[in-house]
Amino acid sequence: MLSPERLALPDYEYLAQRHVLTYMEDAVCQLLENREDISQYGIARFFTDYFNSVCQGTHILFREFSFIQATPHNRASFLRAFWRCFRTVGKNGDLLTMREYHCLLQLLCPDFPLELTQKAARIVLMDDAMDCLMSFSDFLFAFQIQFYYSEFLESVAAIYQDLLSGKNPNTVIVPTSSSGQHRQRPALGDAGMLDGVEASLFYQRLENLCDRHKYSCPPPALVKEILSNVQRLTFYGFLVALSKHHGINQALGALPDKGDLMHDPAMDEELERLLVQVPGLVNSITATSEASCLPSRTPPRVGSPWKPLHRSRKLDAESDGSTEETDESET
Amino acid sequence: MIPGKYRSVSGRAANNVNCGLHLVIQTSSLSDKNKVEFRLNRETPPFPGRLLQHDLERNYSSRQGDHISLVSSSMPAFPILQRSSEEKTLYSDRLTLERQKLTVCPIIDGEEHLRLLNFQHNFITRIQNISNLQRLIFLDLYDNQIEEISGLSTLKSLRVLLLGKNRIKKISNLENLKNLDVLDLHGNQITKIENVNHLCDLRVLNLARNLLSHVDNLNGLDSLTELNLRHNQITFVRDVDNLPCLQRLFLSFNNITSFESVSCLAESTSLSDITFDGNPIAQESWYKHTVLQNMMQLRQLDMKRITEEERRVASVVPKKEEEKKRESHKQSLLKEKKRLTINNVARKWDLQQRVANIASTQDRKDSESPPQESCQLDGGNISAFPEEAGSLDAGLSSALQGLSVTETHLVEIDGETLSLYGSGALECLDRNWSVQTAGMVTTVSFTFIEFDEIVQVLPKLKMKFPNSLHLKFRETNLVMLQQFNALAQLRRVDQLTIDPQGNPVVNFTLWKYYVLFRLSHFSMQKINGTEVTQNDMIMAERLFGILAHVASSELPQYRMISILGDARKKQFRYLLESKGKKPGIICEETSDSKRFLGENTNRATLNYTTREFYHEKLEEIKDKKKFCRLYVEDLVKEATAINMKNEALQKLWPQMFIELVRDAVIEIRSKDSYMKLCLQQITDQK
Repeated sequence: MLSPERLALPDYEYLAQRHVLTYMEDAVCQLLENREDISQYGIARFFTDYFNSVCQGTHILFREFSFIQATPHNRASFLRAFWRCFRTVGKNGDLLTMREYHCLLQLLCPDFPLELTQKAARIVLMDDAMDCLMSFSDFLFAFQIQFYYSEFLESVAAIYQDLLSGKNPNTVIVPTSSSGQHRQRPALGDAGMLDGVEASLFYQRLENLCDRHKYSCPPPALVKEILSNVQRLTFYGFLVALSKHHGINQALGALPDKGDLMHDPAMDEELERLLVQVPGLVNSITATSEASCLPSRTPPRVGSPWKPLHRSRKLDAESDGSTEETDESET
Repeated sequence: MIPGKYRSVSGRAANNVNCGLHLVIQTSSLSDKNKVEFRLNRETPPFPGRLLQHDLERNYSSRQGDHISLVSSSMPAFPILQRSSEEKTLYSDRLTLERQKLTVCPIIDGEEHLRLLNFQHNFITRIQNISNLQRLIFLDLYDNQIEEISGLSTLKSLRVLLLGKNRIKKISNLENLKNLDVLDLHGNQITKIENVNHLCDLRVLNLARNLLSHVDNLNGLDSLTELNLRHNQITFVRDVDNLPCLQRLFLSFNNITSFESVSCLAESTSLSDITFDGNPIAQESWYKHTVLQNMMQLRQLDMKRITEEERRVASVVPKKEEEKKRESHKQSLLKEKKRLTINNVARKWDLQQRVANIASTQDRKDSESPPQESCQLDGGNISAFPEEAGSLDAGLSSALQGLSVTETHLVEIDGETLSLYGSGALECLDRNWSVQTAGMVTTVSFTFIEFDEIVQVLPKLKMKFPNSLHLKFRETNLVMLQQFNALAQLRRVDQLTIDPQGNPVVNFTLWKYYVLFRLSHFSMQKINGTEVTQNDMIMAERLFGILAHVASSELPQYRMISILGDARKKQFRYLLESKGKKPGIICEETSDSKRFLGENTNRATLNYTTREFYHEKLEEIKDKKKFCRLYVEDLVKEATAINMKNEALQKLWPQMFIELVRDAVIEIRSKDSYMKLCLQQITDQK
């Protein structure tokens, strides 16, 4: 019940920081929204359901965007829901356009803004060829970074530009209209040397940012790891590295590793069950289903779709490793 | 045509006549076949070649003038005709100069009593030297080379004038021939009927084989009974109703294409015999009964007697024909109107799309501007229209112009297809369609309508056209997969056709599977014309089955209630919005939505709210959220305050307890004094 932080902050601020208030408010709002229906079914039951679904990550299904992006947990839940629902699309091997991915996102969140999808696609495609086809996994990991660390990336872009204009006045910068994203004209010959900013310097600034940033940022140690491998790098180079880094994916905890991306035995089982119900079934599917059925030894977890994928489960990604442990020990 | 030399000769000849000086020259070269004493001596032709070239020459010798000799003058003058007295007495009133190879009219002397003169088959180019024959009644100049009607002004008693097969270009110089009975001008080059209005006694006029392009200017011909106009190029006939005695009219082999162009014939009461054969009109199916219907007085048509039966048939059929024609005219009018309206709608749609694009780009920077844009749209629309109308044919455009400017939408039922163009067309779903019409409609096609607007009328569509199985969308701004969710509320859909034009969603690779998945309860047969296969169904399930599963099994119950509740409410609202409040409909609707719940529970949560409604809903929620925030904030603040007090109390409590105990202990330390004190208190109470 009591964590050190809990004592460090006044109660109200602590609750707000932990987004408890967000959920409280939303719960009351939902209750208000459907009060006739819910009063029939029990208000206590409703609150139980509500907080259970928050824990399971199913509370974001078909919700408005403002709610989905309200907390890191919601974002992670949304990413996970997106992966779970459309994993099959990726499995099928279809390459889709940005717009089509956007449509899929809108199936889960009707007012999902196009801008975010566009930015994610830009990470994958690295340029303006926005009509190009992308693979599911490329898009998903890029989207994860863009969506989850959205505010952080905005700040990073600003820092990047500062560095670029300060240190390398020769580089041509083409700032995009309002997004705060920047692209460079690739210098054809010695792109690697002149493009981008110096990694160490960049890291210093980022570390600084992570310290005071109030939104979620990737673990500084991992950022350091990414930046220590190279001398210089561009903004998009950095984003691509972020999106491909499996440590960051693990730290975020919403999606499985890239290798396991198409792997969700519980859902595959469910899908087989659904396929049987398709009217006038042809037995061709059974052949393909066997492969995916075999490894599903793990017990189905229908009740709790939100299960720790990795060693640590983070309800709030803002807390780093040390507080997490105390959190768990004391509850 | 006339060689100069020759003309001068005839000019001199005219002089001679006037002087009354007749030069008689007996030519030495007589014709071989002379059997009569007096022969008509021919002038030796100044241009022999000209004679030779005529075919007529062949016949000439055998039929040559019977008892007439022509005394030809020498080179320059006219031949002079003389007849024996025997001849004169025998045929005192007639003279036949057929096939005499005459190139000019001979001077006919001493024959003033002649009543009949025949110059058939000669080469006469000019009518002259007959002005003295004032008792002439019959003048036949058939088959000559006359170019102009002239030299007839003195022949006041002429009744029959035959000028067929000549080279006359113009009807003229007939002013004095008031008694003319028969005028034959066939086989000439006349282009126009003129200068005949004074011929009040004329009974027969033959203008066949001329170059007439039309017939008019016929008034005054009060006695005309027969008018022959065969083999011209006549396209229309007028004035025939001004001919009170006309009985026979021959219009065969002309260029008459419609009955309207000869409609004056219907006014004529005297006509009994008419021919139209060889005209385009005679090929038409309606020809015979139209003519018979309009000209009840006819007794012969195209040389065939008209039977009673024909007349009866004719009186029935044309009515139908007329109706048919009117119908087809109406059809073409409608067609044209449809085309125009569609154009108009398309233009409006185009503008709207452009404005929407501008608005959406501006929206990001500046949310205030769109209303202005929409005003401009109206103005641009109206002004853009007239230039379109200019390209139409006059009749239609005048009929249409009034209508089309206001037409911004079009509703059309063609057999089993209901086509809607423009968003205004959706209002037609409020109309009371007859059960039969509505039942027939199996295909509904939407063009130039925002899909979001269509969504709002879908419940109505379901009720009004229960048999619609095939939906077509073209230029409807379908951009998202989730929009297809809206179609799930319909009763049945067998076929779906989404035209790629104006529907970007069709460019997605997944759209078809999504449709199949979301609308799987319809077991659709065709999408965009291609048969849906089993594999398609499985693929659809494979791709989206998990989505449905997640949506149905993992959605917390309170969300399920609220989403399904919303869907129901939404349908009410769409209905109520335009319908007013009819309790019956609502009842029907509720039972419907119950069924719809049962049909596809695991998909029902995937529904589509139009952007407008969605934003409205978000607005609504905003207020509630605000309230919730304040409420929760108050509660939490109160709770934390209580908690703080509680904690402070908890902190103080041990100390307080100790203090209390200490006080008590101190109080009872000396037993006696404490006892006294207690007793004192008890007595005090009493």
